[in-house]
Amino acid sequence: MKELKNLCELGAVSGREDAVREYIIEKIKDNSEIKIDPLGNIIAFVKGRKAADKIVMVDAHMDEVGLIITSITDNGMLKFTTVGGIDISVLLSRRVIINGMVGVICQKPVHLLSNDEKEKMPTIDSLCIDIGASDRSTAEKKVNVGDVAFFDSSFENLGELIISKALDDRIGCWALIDIINSKPQYDFYATFTVGEEVGLIGAKTAAYTVNPDYAVVIEATTAADIAGVEADKKVCFVDKGAVLSFMDRATLYDKTLFEKAKKIAIEENIKYQVKFVVAGGNNAGAIHQSRGGVKTVAVSVPCRYIHSPSCVASFNDIKAVRDLCVKLIEKMASGEIE
Amino acid sequence: MEGIKQILKELCEADCIGGIGDALEVAKKHISSFAKIKLSGNSLVAEIKGKKDYTIMLDAHIDEIGMMVTNIDDNGFVSVAAAGGIDSRMLMAMKVKIHAKSIVKGVFCSVPPHLRQNEIGVLKLDELYIDTGLGKAAKHIISVGDRVTFEQNFAELGENYVTAKALDNRSGVAALIRCAQLLQNKELNCNVILLFSDMEEIGGSGVKTESFTLNSQCAVSVDVSFGNQQGVSNDECGILGKGAMIGISPILSKDITEQLKKAANLIGTNYQTEVMGGKTATNADHITVTKSGIPCGLLSIPLRNMHTPAEVVCIDDIESTALILAEFIKIKSEEIYERA
Repeated sequence: MKELKNLCELGAVSGREDAVREYIIEKIKDNSEIKIDPLGNIIAFVKGRKAADKIVMVDAHMDEVGLIITSITDNGMLKFTTVGGIDISVLLSRRVIINGMVGVICQKPVHLLSNDEKEKMPTIDSLCIDIGASDRSTAEKKVNVGDVAFFDSSFENLGELIISKALDDRIGCWALIDIINSKPQYDFYATFTVGEEVGLIGAKTAAYTVNPDYAVVIEATTAADIAGVEADKKVCFVDKGAVLSFMDRATLYDKTLFEKAKKIAIEENIKYQVKFVVAGGNNAGAIHQSRGGVKTVAVSVPCRYIHSPSCVASFNDIKAVRDLCVKLIEKMASGEIE
Repeated sequence: MEGIKQILKELCEADCIGGIGDALEVAKKHISSFAKIKLSGNSLVAEIKGKKDYTIMLDAHIDEIGMMVTNIDDNGFVSVAAAGGIDSRMLMAMKVKIHAKSIVKGVFCSVPPHLRQNEIGVLKLDELYIDTGLGKAAKHIISVGDRVTFEQNFAELGENYVTAKALDNRSGVAALIRCAQLLQNKELNCNVILLFSDMEEIGGSGVKTESFTLNSQCAVSVDVSFGNQQGVSNDECGILGKGAMIGISPILSKDITEQLKKAANLIGTNYQTEVMGGKTATNADHITVTKSGIPCGLLSIPLRNMHTPAEVVCIDDIESTALILAEFIKIKSEEIYERA
């Protein structure tokens, strides 16, 4: 779990994935041939014990949601907009890191709110980040417009579970690094992609470059298995295994592959579940439509409070996802899957 | 991290709510070498003895806002009620500590945005739950009535500012400790009692009972007030870095207010004024009407984002408050000497 902690605590907002890219290169360079494409994607060819009959692309995205500075006020405060989808409720009174410094997102004291204000969420443009600068010129010495900020949130235990920022998708990165370094049976391409949170940007170009026959996307997906949510809206359950998806907002998954993935999980005794609400989207959305089409499966870790500083998941599910992906890669690369 | 910042860090990272928590121990540790300590109710009292029979009480509330556990469900999700004024709009994904048989970490959750029926309304506290990750084991560790505090550590913000939970009112507590440091080895004609009172956020029972029990002839309360920030007009607040805010109000003693200003001018330290039309919403309101009355003044430290884990103060303002208080005590001490 130390590796996962290291990955989660690095800051890599979409478009500025450098820290995570460098970390991953260091971890996989001895077991793969690495190319970095014009957008910053890592495209790594992983040599297996046997040559593959089919080209398999396995993807995890490096970027996390965050904030980007739009302007600096006369009072030295930073105005911002979101990078990726972040609900305003998880921004209020939160701590962020920007250019290595701590900042806090301001909140008007409850004592000063009018009745109207109490019944509405503030808008993004009424918020700002305070870095302790007394005026504009002090702030300008430390921050430029266009700089990014990420949640200041450490990786910890929460009872039997784990809590951290960026479980989406450092758990995918962790699993893929682990698969690469575990002497896979067949050759395959591992892609660590950029800009998923801002429109599946990296996956589009990575899929074009790799030109795969099959693809596996390793992701985190929203779990609403919490108090106050009706049973049929819980989407999937933490600690109930790897999530297989038949449909989300970006992809209607290939039925044959979906059924085969379930069968493989059962045969290999890997805990799995099916996501039962159509919600979210991931790089499969871009990959499955690449060139003439790619048969794609998404394997996900159920994750509560996704896109917040406090994502919650189970390490058991992360291992189940990794195990299922190993088997899927084998069946796809050998051509056995269909 | 030097002096007052280090003391403030330790104070903020400790907890105090409704009689539980380790903040009193931290305050005790930093003051026991200059003053005689006793615990009274859930408050801490520190006395510096002077030559004559005149006592000045300095008060700073040591409790913080938080919550109380009202229910624990079979899946480890905990419901709470507020203890103090909390804006429920900020609670989603916020980390907390439940003071149960042992400390249990938790995180606030509610129905995710994409599943919510009404897009427009805001979440109320009874629609929010704390996820402990403990499943059914939670019921064996957590009980109804357990206290809950925010989980946030202390951090520096730029050169002179700091951010932490509970700066309301550990800033005031730190100012009192610093004042006691400044009074060390000074010969005083009056007694000084430092009262670190509990329960300010929930009705003031700590200061009410302690001002009754302790015998003082005048008092100054130290708390925090609104500091300049986005969405708050400069008329409604003090400016961080411009010094302690001396309170002016019909309820506060005019004499003490003037003496606080005199103290600030004598030492040439920055200060601001905060004018209120009636009650101050601080412990001063209770101290003033104790027994037959105790003349009371108010010093406030400007603070941003009040009642959130993202509170911010300027360290210089805490120092300014302590300097003014120490000089005020000296002025009073000379006044007592002249009277006799």
